[in-house]
Amino acid sequence: MNLRARLTGEPLALAGLVLFLILLPSLATAFFVNFVMTQTLILGLAAATIVFLSRYGGMTSLAQLLMFGIAGFMFGNAALDGGARGLNLGWHPWAAVGFAIVVTTLAAVVLGAIASRTTGIYFLMLTLVYGVIGYFVFAQIVEISGPGGITSIQRPDLLGPPVRLYYAGLLLSVLAYVGFRALRRTAFGLALQGVRDDPVRMASLGFNVPLHRTLAFVLAGFVAGLAGLLNVWWNGQIDPASISIGPTLILLIIAVIGGISSLEGAWLGAFVYVLVFTYLRDLPLVDRIGITEARFNTVIGVIVLAIMVLSPEGLTGIARRLPVRTIRKELGGTRA
Amino acid sequence: MSRQRRRASLALSVTAGLALLAAGCGGGDDDSTGLPADQESAGGGDGSPAGGDEGIRLGILGQCEGPFGGFHEDVVAGTTLALAQFAGATPNSSTSALEGFSGAEVAGTPIELVGIGCGDDTADRIVQEVRRLVEQLGANVIIGPLSGDEGIAIAEYAKANPEITVFAGISGSQEQTLQVQAPNYFRFYGDGAIWSAGLGDLLHNQEGWDTVAVIADDYSFGHTSAAGFIADFCAVGGDVVSRVFPPLGTTDYSSYIAQLPNPDEVDGYFWAVGGTGTQAALEAFVNGKGDLTGDQHAGNLFFNPNLAQALGTGIAGAYVGGFATLPGDVQTPEIEEYLAAADATWETIPGSLSGNEPAPPSVAAAFGFFYGYYTAGVALVESLEAVGGDISDLDAYHAAISDLTLDLPYGEISLDENRSGIVDVGLSRLVLDDAGDVVQETVAIVPGVDQTFGGTFSPDTPSPGRDFPACEERDLPWVGNAIPVVDGVPQG
Amino acid sequence: MTPASNGLDQVRREDERTTSTEVRSRSAASVRSRLTELRRPSVWVAAVVAVAVAAWVLVLADGTPAGAAADDPGKFLVTVLDAVTFAGLLFVAASGFTLIFGLMRTVNMAHGSLFLLAAYVAIRVQEAMVGRSRNIDPADVGLLDWLVPMLAGAGVAAVLGLAIQQVFLQWNEGQEMRQTLLTLAITVVLADQMLREFGGLAQRMVWPGAVTHFFTIGGERYAATRLFMLGIAVLVGVLLWLWLNRTSVGMVIRAGVDDRQMVRGLGINIKRVFALTFLVGSFLAGVGGVLGASFAGAAPGTDGSWLLNSLVVVIIGGLGSLKGAAAGSLLYGTVVAFSPAYLPSQYSYYAIIMTFGLLALVLAVRPYGLFGRPA
Repeated sequence: MNLRARLTGEPLALAGLVLFLILLPSLATAFFVNFVMTQTLILGLAAATIVFLSRYGGMTSLAQLLMFGIAGFMFGNAALDGGARGLNLGWHPWAAVGFAIVVTTLAAVVLGAIASRTTGIYFLMLTLVYGVIGYFVFAQIVEISGPGGITSIQRPDLLGPPVRLYYAGLLLSVLAYVGFRALRRTAFGLALQGVRDDPVRMASLGFNVPLHRTLAFVLAGFVAGLAGLLNVWWNGQIDPASISIGPTLILLIIAVIGGISSLEGAWLGAFVYVLVFTYLRDLPLVDRIGITEARFNTVIGVIVLAIMVLSPEGLTGIARRLPVRTIRKELGGTRA
Repeated sequence: MSRQRRRASLALSVTAGLALLAAGCGGGDDDSTGLPADQESAGGGDGSPAGGDEGIRLGILGQCEGPFGGFHEDVVAGTTLALAQFAGATPNSSTSALEGFSGAEVAGTPIELVGIGCGDDTADRIVQEVRRLVEQLGANVIIGPLSGDEGIAIAEYAKANPEITVFAGISGSQEQTLQVQAPNYFRFYGDGAIWSAGLGDLLHNQEGWDTVAVIADDYSFGHTSAAGFIADFCAVGGDVVSRVFPPLGTTDYSSYIAQLPNPDEVDGYFWAVGGTGTQAALEAFVNGKGDLTGDQHAGNLFFNPNLAQALGTGIAGAYVGGFATLPGDVQTPEIEEYLAAADATWETIPGSLSGNEPAPPSVAAAFGFFYGYYTAGVALVESLEAVGGDISDLDAYHAAISDLTLDLPYGEISLDENRSGIVDVGLSRLVLDDAGDVVQETVAIVPGVDQTFGGTFSPDTPSPGRDFPACEERDLPWVGNAIPVVDGVPQG
Repeated sequence: MTPASNGLDQVRREDERTTSTEVRSRSAASVRSRLTELRRPSVWVAAVVAVAVAAWVLVLADGTPAGAAADDPGKFLVTVLDAVTFAGLLFVAASGFTLIFGLMRTVNMAHGSLFLLAAYVAIRVQEAMVGRSRNIDPADVGLLDWLVPMLAGAGVAAVLGLAIQQVFLQWNEGQEMRQTLLTLAITVVLADQMLREFGGLAQRMVWPGAVTHFFTIGGERYAATRLFMLGIAVLVGVLLWLWLNRTSVGMVIRAGVDDRQMVRGLGINIKRVFALTFLVGSFLAGVGGVLGASFAGAAPGTDGSWLLNSLVVVIIGGLGSLKGAAAGSLLYGTVVAFSPAYLPSQYSYYAIIMTFGLLALVLAVRPYGLFGRPA
């Protein structure tokens, strides 16, 4: 277990991957970078917050898309001027960014505090209800959105060319990944994992269990909000349907495809999802077996089903198990 | 070990940060850094440049999921029929339009179908689908989308990507033309408000309604549909005494029905509740207010018997607004020719009205979803003829589209200054046929309806909403011009 | 340890380090009792809220669509009936869901799909029996034309539910999250396949003509079909109660809800009990679906909204408790009926937000619902 072993391991591979992604815009087509990869990074960043909460906090949250949406709606409300709907505050885009992040974080504080006493399946269902409340809040309160949502949202000038949005997504993804990884070694991260494994013990040790859960939820909400900002800049609009129950479950599915217990799985899941969404129907002969673009959901459903049958840890779980198994077999062979 | 790991992740983040900084600086100097992805404009995907020299690369935006998912076949068939009739296209399959077509050409310019977008009734999804068509497959002409909020999103996309040309499909929101004002976005059919036009005139001046209660879905299309009716009914002197907007997804409508005035307190009701709500809300009305007496009710296209196949027979007698085509009882030579052309193009089409089972193509063709995409296809063909197949000068091409007047089977369509259709609206009444089915009987055709309603709606007014428009008398250009229809024959 | 060893093991080991050094001075029980004490003030808050709401509805609610109950008792009575009858439908829809959860700790996300599938099947059977596919009049629908389709639809749902359980859930019992995600994936597939098979247009089941009558109560007209729906719900509730309390299988199930290990230890074949429970739970989902399709119609999206309705009911009532499902349905039905009627007119658009505000309130007071307990 020396430095060399470390450097040949995961971090080096990931650094290589990041370097490759940085160079990608010179290698790939505009569509691949600005559509496929940018969407992958945005969805991956949002799904990573689900993984973070699940992995370190033991909370499977369906409220992350809501946080994502709140940030988007708030940016639209603050930045637009003279649009058809919303508050039309007409602020400077970066002031709007600040506003969106503050509101999202505050919402996360309130929702996190209420949810902090539940865990497991109860937490999942409570956060699903959060998502539904959020949907109706934006659908019914016309002052901040209304059913038609907020349209013609422009991104700040700094991010004008589409490729910069890609780089922004990459930067935030790398920061979130490194940040979440680093966090688990901090006092807070360790306590959070303790809370995940045995809340009663941690409480009796004097740890404030609900506070730790709330703080984790707030952090995840903040990061999901950043992803939500990227999303409205990428998409140009947001409406209540963007955060309805369907997309909410899709984000969970993305986290599940990659592997809900590994951070990098979030981006892997997003990549697989976007690839299937974009390219499946272009495959030759695939329509012969009844798979057209109209049956996209069936394909996604079957993929998730297969993954969950094979391994609850998703694609990264499957990928990890394969080499380990062969190594073990070899070891066993030499010993025998 | 943990320290080493921390160092490793630090190194990783520093590397990443520096590299990103470098890339960011590179991208920050100038907009022309040579990266293929660093293009503001779309249309260059996969090395197939957009532009006139290669002809028309057509993308069609339909919906294969969501509430209108069943109409995917219908809408693609609509455009295909136009190209088969007027551009020499041959469908690749005799039983489905989704297989595409070949051989379409207008004035020497070939029309190639590069892809069919698959929406799910949300704006997010349709934007992704149009980006795929334009940025990956290199489409330079788009026909679609299907529904209201999608239309706004696609109009915004068209505005941001001036090198494409969009002919809207059958999306019914007002804003996509009135407010967004994209110079390359054209709609050759009416909107949700237009389809309610003339109804108020008929109900007030002919049926003697002075007061009406409005109940509509609480979202853009419900608001727009109700707005058209309210503008029309109030313009001729009627009064809207109650507006109720149940949220989408309501299961039990009884509390909302209770908010409506009783049948003896009001002359009639206007309904714009769609999906399962059409029947559920009517049933709640029967439960709470009393039996349906058809002549006290009117509805928008959600009352169309083709959409509301679940409606009970009690609704017979109600008036219904228009929707792109005319009910089947009107058969002019032009309509017969159009329907025959559909039947000649395919053997069968599994459209939504036949439950997505194979049926004669004319079944789908006689309905608004098919027809909206058909008008867009005809507009594409005629606009290409107008410029001699040369679309290298987009401004000239767009000007030519704006000047088109299409002579179509269900009436003439031209565009207003916002590139939105000025159309004829067919009003009808629900009646029971001999088999006991509820069918439509056309009662009047209102010619030349435009989306401003004599100034009620303009680029400066808000979008139709729960309180807008207010109930005001005003002059409408089409009041008194309605052509009565008797036994399916327009009089005069 | 090899470098390839995965991060999960790493974390677990660290956790052991964290917790192994702890002082085990206080028992878990004392912590629980401390948590219970914390809950008490919120009970008072709930009581105050309830009294305030009652006062509002009874006397203060002028300027609301329905008006104060003291001024317009007829409307109040109708609203109460609306609440109770809708609660009946909610109860049928949610009872299967809570039954399955109570015994197996499986959150069956496919519940809504089974609901919708049963509705579609029943509609097709009814159309075949009546002999027409559109504009069916209740007068043409005999009692059997409704009951037979209902049994057919619910039967299909029950068989499919059992198949799902046998193929996908039987071998991974105890892995709650995995089971939830499996059923979620099944839902995605089923929803798409139902759209392909049954199309996107709204359909409905028609009530039998025999129950399509109206009567007058407090000066207001009321529909017998709604009471019929309530009657079926009561029947379902009573049968379920008898089954769970008066039969040996039911007692095993109740024992299983309390302590699965103990039931296993007694040598009972719990696998068979699980299968039976899933069959019954799915059948109930189907009955709910047919009732729902008769009451409000069926279309793509109905599955999602009824999964949500069931979730709301059992979250309020407490997962796994039949009593909770009944209480949750009543409370949820009450808010659904009352909030559009008794909110001030200008706020009635927010009625649906109120509904879910109720949930937040209940959960703030009792995180595991009214009759639930920690899993």
